[in-house]
Amino acid sequence: MSIKEIQIPAFLKRTFNGRNVAISIPYLWLLLLFLFPFVIVLKISLAQPVIAMPPYTPLFSWGDSLWPKIQAGLDSYLFLFSDSLYIKAYLSSIKIATISTVLTLIIGYAIAYSIARAPTRWRGILLMLVILPFWTSFLIRVYAWIGILKTEGLLNLALMTLGVIEKPLIIMNTDLAVYIGIVYSYLPFMILPLYANLEKMDMNLLEAAADLGCRPFKTFWTVTIPLSLPGILAGCFLVFIPVIGEFVIPDLLGGTKTLMIGKVLWGEFFYNRDWPVASAVAIIMLLLLIVPIILYQKSQEKAIS
Amino acid sequence: MTETTTTEPWLDSNQKPYIQIESVTKKFGDFTAIDNLSLDIYKNEFFSLLGPSGCGKTTLLRMLAGFERFTEGRVLVDGEDISEIPPHLRPINMMFQSYALFPHMTVEKNIAFGLKQDKLPDNIINQRVEEMLELVELTDFAKRKPGQLSGGQSQRVALARSLAKQPKLLLLDEPLGALDKRLREQTQFELMDIQEKLEVTFVIVTHDQEEAMTVSSRIGVMDSGKLIQVATPTQIYEAPINREVADFIGDVNIFKGIYKGQDETGTQLLSEDSKSIIYATQKVDVPVGNRIWFALRPEKLEITRKLPEVDFNILKGKIEDIGYGGSFSTYHVKLENGRQLTAIRANRERTAEHHLTWGDEVYLHWAPHSAVVLLS
Repeated sequence: MSIKEIQIPAFLKRTFNGRNVAISIPYLWLLLLFLFPFVIVLKISLAQPVIAMPPYTPLFSWGDSLWPKIQAGLDSYLFLFSDSLYIKAYLSSIKIATISTVLTLIIGYAIAYSIARAPTRWRGILLMLVILPFWTSFLIRVYAWIGILKTEGLLNLALMTLGVIEKPLIIMNTDLAVYIGIVYSYLPFMILPLYANLEKMDMNLLEAAADLGCRPFKTFWTVTIPLSLPGILAGCFLVFIPVIGEFVIPDLLGGTKTLMIGKVLWGEFFYNRDWPVASAVAIIMLLLLIVPIILYQKSQEKAIS
Repeated sequence: MTETTTTEPWLDSNQKPYIQIESVTKKFGDFTAIDNLSLDIYKNEFFSLLGPSGCGKTTLLRMLAGFERFTEGRVLVDGEDISEIPPHLRPINMMFQSYALFPHMTVEKNIAFGLKQDKLPDNIINQRVEEMLELVELTDFAKRKPGQLSGGQSQRVALARSLAKQPKLLLLDEPLGALDKRLREQTQFELMDIQEKLEVTFVIVTHDQEEAMTVSSRIGVMDSGKLIQVATPTQIYEAPINREVADFIGDVNIFKGIYKGQDETGTQLLSEDSKSIIYATQKVDVPVGNRIWFALRPEKLEITRKLPEVDFNILKGKIEDIGYGGSFSTYHVKLENGRQLTAIRANRERTAEHHLTWGDEVYLHWAPHSAVVLLS
C-alpha cells in the first residue's frame, strides 16, 4: 500500500511560494491599514453631513428600485474652495512647514556635522543623546515647552533674574512657540539621516580639496554640502511631510491666530461634527503631500542607485 | 654643470637641496611617529620612502602636504619655510592612495578644481585641463564621473588632478597600490615618463620594494620613524648598511659569525653554519673577534652538482624546494646543520640538461666580492 501523493496544481505552487508570501505581508498590511481606511475617508468626503449616527449620508441608498442609488457629491470639496479659511490654512501649513524645515536643517546640520566629526568613542553617546528624548512621550515634551515658554515660565524667569529683560517675553501662543516646538520635536528626524551621510563621508576628499588650494569654508560649500545632499533631502522630507499635518504642537503652543490644516481638520471633526468636510480636508492634505512624498521616493531611489 | 651633477645632485656639495626636512619629530600622544628625521631632496628627483606599514612614511608625506603638524623641526621648500603654512596655501600637491576624486564632479571638473581655486581665467583652465587629459590619455572620458571609471582610469585622473597646478613638489601616497600587477608595472614607467616630461619633484610612499627600485632616483628606507638608509636603488640593493635594510629589500641570505681578520682573499668570517671560514672582499674596520654578518643575494649564489674548482666559499646542502618562476627558478637548499639558504638561477636552457631536482646533493659557491659585510 502506498500513500498517493497529493498533486498540488502548478499554478498554486507558483503563486504561493515563500517569496510571494513574504512579499504579500507588507502589501496586506498597507491594504488593510492604509488603503482601506483611505477609501472610507474618501467615501465620507463625498457624502452629506446629517445629524445622525454616523453623521453622514450613506453612499448607497436602496429605495424601491432594484439597483441602489449612489449618493455622492463634491459639495464638501467645493465648500473648501469657497471658504478662504481652508486655502489660508493649507498655505499657512506649507509656510510653517517650510520655515521650520529650513530652521531644523540649519540646526540639525550643525549638530549632525559636529557629531560626525567628534572622536569615534563620543559619537555613540552623542547620538544616544539625540534619540534619548524619544523615551518620553511626545505629548509630555510639548507640555514641558509650555512650562518653559509661558509668561511666568522658566525662560522668562531666568532672563528676568539675569536682568536681560524687564518685562516677560510673549512667546507662548504665538507662531514663534510653534516653530520652537516643531524644530525641537523634529530635530532627530533631521539629524539621523544627515549624520548617517556625513559620518561615512571620505575625509580624504576634504583633504584633497585643501591640498588643491581650497579654503576650509569653501570646501564646505563645494564638497561637503553637495555630497551630503541625499542626507539633506531625506532629512527635509522626513520633517516637512509630518509637519504639514501637525496638530498637537500648534494646538498646545500656538495661538488662535496660528492656522494649520491639522487644527482645522480637528475642528471640523470634533467641534463642527462635519465629517464630510473634515474628510475632504484630509483628502486634499494627502494630495498635497503626495508631491513631496514622490520627490522623496525619487531622491531615495537615486541615492540607492 | 657636468653630467654627473645633474643625475646625482646629492653627491655634489654645490647643489642646493630643493626640499629640506630638518630634524622633524612628530608625536601622537606618547607615540613617536617620526623621530628627529632629516632629509634633503633635490629638484626633479623621484624620491621613494620605503618601509613596512606603520614606519611613519605616510605620516611624513602628510606632514609635507600640511595635514599633520610636526611637533618639532621644520621643512623648507625651495628655501622657504613652509612649516606654518596651511595645506591649501602650500605649493605642494598630493595624490591620495584612495585617489579621493570628488564623486559629484566630472573628470574634467575634478582636474579643474585646483586651478579654479587660483581664480585663473576660464580659457587657461580649459587649456590646462585639456593638456592634462591628453597627458594621461583620458580625453574621451572628460565628461564621465569617477563612479564610471575603472581603477586604472581613476588613478590617472587623480594623477592629472594633482599635476594640474604644476606643483613644486608632488606627493604620491601608494599611487599604484590599488592596481593589479600588470597595470602597476606599466604605470610605473608612465609615471617616470611624466615625471621627466614635467620636471616635477616626486616623493612617493610605497611598501612595494620592486616599485621603489624601478621608479626612484633615490630610496629612503624607513623604520620606526627613522630613516635607516638613503641611497640609490643599486646601492640599497647591493650595499645595504645593515641586516634590516638587506632583509627588507629583496631576498637575502645572511651568514652570522665571528670576524677572524683579513688575508689576500678578503675578510674572514668564521661562519656559525659551516663552522668554517668564509670570505668577502669588502674590508671592515672592527677588532678581530667581533660579531659580523655577510649578506648574500640569492642570485649571487651559484648552485652546482659538481664540486666547484675553488677552495673557499663552498657550502654543501640538499635541495629542499624548487620554485619555478619561468625565467628563473628559486632553490631552497638545506645545509648540513639544518639552515636553509635561497639560491636563484636563471633558466637559460629551455630543456634543462643538468636539471636540478628535489633531494639533489648540491654545492653552493659565491665570489667574495658578491657578499656584503654588515656590522649590525
